[in-house]
Amino acid sequence: MSAQAHGAGRPYRISVFNHKGGVGKTTLTVNIGAALASLGRRVLLVDSDPQCNLTSYLVADEVVDDLLDKSDSTHGATIWSAVKPISEATGNVNVVDPIELGTNNLFLLPGDIRLAEFESDLVEFWAQCFQRKLKGFRGTTALSELVHQVSHGHNIDYVFYDSGPNIGPLNRAILLDCDYFIVPVACDLFSLRALKTLGKTLVDWIESWRTVSSLAPQDIPLLAGRPKFLGYIPEGFRVYGGRPAGKHSYFLSRIEREIHSQLMVLLRRVDPDLAPSRVQQAKLGEVKDYASLVPASQKEGRPIYEVSAGTPDQRGSAWQVFRAIATKIDSRVHGGSIG
Amino acid sequence: MSDARSRKAQQRQVDRLVVEFGRKRDSVSLFLDQLFLAVSTSPKLVPHVHSFKKRVKDADHLREKLLRKAQECAETNREFDVVPSELLTRITDLAGMRILHLYTRQIEDIDKALREIFAEHKYDLLEGPFARTWDDESREFFRKCHIRREKSPSLYTSVHYIVGSASRTKITCEVQVRTLMEEVWGEVDHALNYPHPSESLACREQIKVLARITSSATRLVDSIFATRIDYEVGRKSDRAVAPREKSAAAKGRRSR
Repeated sequence: MSAQAHGAGRPYRISVFNHKGGVGKTTLTVNIGAALASLGRRVLLVDSDPQCNLTSYLVADEVVDDLLDKSDSTHGATIWSAVKPISEATGNVNVVDPIELGTNNLFLLPGDIRLAEFESDLVEFWAQCFQRKLKGFRGTTALSELVHQVSHGHNIDYVFYDSGPNIGPLNRAILLDCDYFIVPVACDLFSLRALKTLGKTLVDWIESWRTVSSLAPQDIPLLAGRPKFLGYIPEGFRVYGGRPAGKHSYFLSRIEREIHSQLMVLLRRVDPDLAPSRVQQAKLGEVKDYASLVPASQKEGRPIYEVSAGTPDQRGSAWQVFRAIATKIDSRVHGGSIG
Repeated sequence: MSDARSRKAQQRQVDRLVVEFGRKRDSVSLFLDQLFLAVSTSPKLVPHVHSFKKRVKDADHLREKLLRKAQECAETNREFDVVPSELLTRITDLAGMRILHLYTRQIEDIDKALREIFAEHKYDLLEGPFARTWDDESREFFRKCHIRREKSPSLYTSVHYIVGSASRTKITCEVQVRTLMEEVWGEVDHALNYPHPSESLACREQIKVLARITSSATRLVDSIFATRIDYEVGRKSDRAVAPREKSAAAKGRRSR
């Protein structure tokens, strides 16, 4: 999709998604977001995981505490404060101000434990969409509408949703709102197996939404429903002498095969535009095990390459990796075809 | 083109249409479920209705219908021009819903409620309502209700609406409204005499007589309800004259 076709002023919405936990979703989201921000893009990170890992990553504990204490009040500033009127059927989305982070051009829409309540509402909203009830469409598109309003108010170029490790209704609403998604994969057997479920689930979501939206009244809000596979990122493997260690090298080729057969092929069957044809083009980069850098980054609430831990050399190489991934993302989404 | 060849071409066209229907069947079914939900749960409509039915057209019935249409076109030298991309809008009864009620006069309230439901849920009323009837008295009644009248040489009776999905994918649904008695005739006729007329004269004759009987029965139910309304109006005006009798009457009802 070209920048023009995308619509002036509409940010690209991206989710780093894998329902398998512990594959580094939040770490990737923060660091890719920060790297894009350093390229001069304005980036909004949306903590749409009720576990709030992203928010605790980037914001000091006492601030998080305060946010959560107030989130249910009229002064609330979390994602729950924003969608509460939809959940309680009292009105429209309440647009909250994102937090401007220390890194330039980087904003955070804080998460909330109570978003879990909205997630259970989403089950009903989804069913109502199948019944063609307007309330269902308003509920299902509530987060999308919120992100639209916040992005518009802050001239955002990229939105990154951070999502929980599951294939629940919240992630369904998020993925169907995304223009692109990135799949992080760890080098282990469970991650490989998870890809099968991931591909099937995404196809199921896209096709269900396609049916529902084709029968929806014409002038109501809808999710775009066409998340394209932007690429995958093998994560957390060990490196010896500049090359992936034996076992990991084996996994890398397995991952490539599974990404192709379990994800890309299925998506292209629904619509050839949803994934590139060749898997060789699909790898966005490799993120190796940065040992002490990741915990330090989480503790300090800063991108991996700005932390006080590790050596300048380690930080420098981490920086290069994320910068390269960010550059690739930026050129792919602006460069028309993704394959 | 020879007859045999044109028949083969027709057959192929009908096959393509039936395949297309198979592809779209899920959407048609979902659309029907959505409309059915809106109609059958409406508090405006439900009090006037006895029961609701729905069905997605059977693929074999669709094939027969299309072949009949194609044949009609061939016989009258017209082109059979239904193409797959237009199937869902040209064949208006792929989704069908029937609303059954007790007596003819209820159509006034049912029509009003249906129009409100279609507007509220953003469906398009593409055609209708029109009433097929062969009875002069009911024709006159429909005229007063501003419902278009159509002749019915087959003795079939029903009020029809064609409703559109008003969405990106265009689908239509035929909504039929008829009395329970008309349903009895319709079901018997459908089982024995439609779409191919029964070969038995006795059977055809009896179905025609049944139409008179069910029509009379509907008329009788209308009459019974008209009598009751007349009776209740009378009682109300009696009460207005003598309010004390009201509590006595109420007690009488309770003790019954």
